Amino acid sequence: MNLIEMNSICKSYRNIGFETKVLKDVTLHIKEGDYVGIIGPSGAGKSTLMAIMGCLAQPTSGEYILDGEQVGKLNDRKLSRVRNEKIGFVFQAFHLLPGVSALENVTLPLVYAKNPPGNIKERARELLAKVGLEHRLHHTPGQLSGGEQQRVTIARSLISDPRIILADEPTGNLDSKNGIETMKTFDSLVKEGKTIILITHDQEVAQHAGRIISILDGQIASDSEVNHEAQTRSL
Amino acid sequence: MRIFKNLGQALRGLRLNRGNTVLMTIGVMIGIASLTVIVAIGDGIKSTVLNRIANMGFGPESFSVIAGAGKLFFARSQNTTSMTLEDAEDLLALPTVRLVVPRQRKSIQIINKKEFTSTRIYGVTPDWQLARGWKMKDGDFLSDTDLERRKRVVVLGATPAKKLFKSDDPMGKMVRVQNNYYEVIGLLEEKGLTESGYDPDDRVLIPLTTSMSRLTHQTYLHSIKVVALDSSQVPETMEAVRQILRRNHNLSVLAEDDFRFITPEGIMQRVTESEQALNRMLMLVSTVSLLVGGIVIMNILLVSIRERVREIGIRRCFGARRSDITVQFLFESVLVSLLGGFMGVGLGLAISFGLQRFDVLPTHITVEPFILSFVFCSLIGLIFGIHPARKAAFLSPEESIRSQ
Repeated sequence: MNLIEMNSICKSYRNIGFETKVLKDVTLHIKEGDYVGIIGPSGAGKSTLMAIMGCLAQPTSGEYILDGEQVGKLNDRKLSRVRNEKIGFVFQAFHLLPGVSALENVTLPLVYAKNPPGNIKERARELLAKVGLEHRLHHTPGQLSGGEQQRVTIARSLISDPRIILADEPTGNLDSKNGIETMKTFDSLVKEGKTIILITHDQEVAQHAGRIISILDGQIASDSEVNHEAQTRSL
Repeated sequence: MRIFKNLGQALRGLRLNRGNTVLMTIGVMIGIASLTVIVAIGDGIKSTVLNRIANMGFGPESFSVIAGAGKLFFARSQNTTSMTLEDAEDLLALPTVRLVVPRQRKSIQIINKKEFTSTRIYGVTPDWQLARGWKMKDGDFLSDTDLERRKRVVVLGATPAKKLFKSDDPMGKMVRVQNNYYEVIGLLEEKGLTESGYDPDDRVLIPLTTSMSRLTHQTYLHSIKVVALDSSQVPETMEAVRQILRRNHNLSVLAEDDFRFITPEGIMQRVTESEQALNRMLMLVSTVSLLVGGIVIMNILLVSIRERVREIGIRRCFGARRSDITVQFLFESVLVSLLGGFMGVGLGLAISFGLQRFDVLPTHITVEPFILSFVFCSLIGLIFGIHPARKAAFLSPEESIRSQ
């Protein structure tokens, strides 16, 4: 069964009377456990596609079925719950709450969870340890480096144990060393069974994915499986 | 419970945006404090003015008849030649009248050696003291003998006594008015300045007969104070007085009175008028300060929430409902309003008490302005604290996280 099913999704923004079509008739199916890289030049519509996938924005037209549910028909309560339980976001600009400790930033999704686990702090600590930040629990984003902040956002995206991780340019603000670390984390998450959707304009980063969808001018230009074994052999 | 979590986030929000929290709290505090202080000062001045008017030396059973027509309450007394001692005697004959005090008055310089001061000299009869109920500090008041013999004796109010004699004892000393020397036979007890600056002690009293022959050189009276037997008899007594004076002054039916009354009722009416005027002023001033306070709070809130749209977006991305955002900001606004409110009430009380305590301004503290400003500032806080947050919550999370 498809976890993500987008059928003829269109998205346009209206700005002072002008209508800009950002997504034009995008149809896209993603299976559970997929590792998908979405690439394309800036302005192609990648981020808008991710916003719609993450239920952060509604499409202008088309149908989006997430985990068997018609997202377009959900009210704010249910939509918030979908965002809370099924999706973990990793943003290029991190989007951590300023002034709040790493630990508390990681627990943010559980503040809004319907049935939060009892050992929230412990879980957050474990996740931060998993991304190598066990010594930075009480630092605020301002006291952390870019790479560390990115790791906090990854921990945050995992705290409610979502099935999908949506990462928008996760390496965009990082140096190459931190970028590689981040990608390794994603690679290991796939092995744990998460569905990962990675948005990037970096071909090299996209190569980590098992399937690469390239977006051009609001449309899917190509959609191909990556044969990692073939790649390794050719190296 | 979700609501407690929202409360927790609100507390965190207030802590994180410390600067704005402090500003908002101060805004609410100043709004409430300034309003309450202004109202307290206004009320204080009001009651002082009203007291001053009400304490012009009138018991409820007395009134004055001033020579000369006119409606103005505080009109400058002209030299009118209509009221005489015969009038006073006729008034005393009325059955409801207990006392009558005919008076002359003149503002003039009074001298002791090198010291001199300008004051009001009243020529009165011994009954003046009874009518006013004014006690002596030293010596005796003017006696019937003084009156009969037109003695050159004087009773000093506390102010001229101080100015002319400094720390010396004035009793038995001589003071000069024009070319006559008067012996000081008594000192009036000091009443003290009223808050409005009126000095009731700035007066000296001499026998009416002496005043007529040596000071004013005329027999016409400035006014007659009438004390009725009972306050309920004041209206009928006034009417009787009016009839007698009109008859004595040969006024035709159509002619206006050539005298005017100053009555406790007249004073009360004056008091009411002043009160209304003062109330209107107070209302205006408080409305303006409320509006100013409200606008300050509103602006701080609008700015502070615009800064937090991104935070709202982040929370929404991770599962906050619109209602979660609303509730969080509701809590924040309520907490700030309550904190600022209580601080404002405290500050307002402190300033009002302080002004009173250190004799800067009279203040009168009432509950209403505190309640009014508390409610108003909290309402402003709530409306302008929640509305922009709700608006931000209704943006799609994508739009709000992109905002800077």
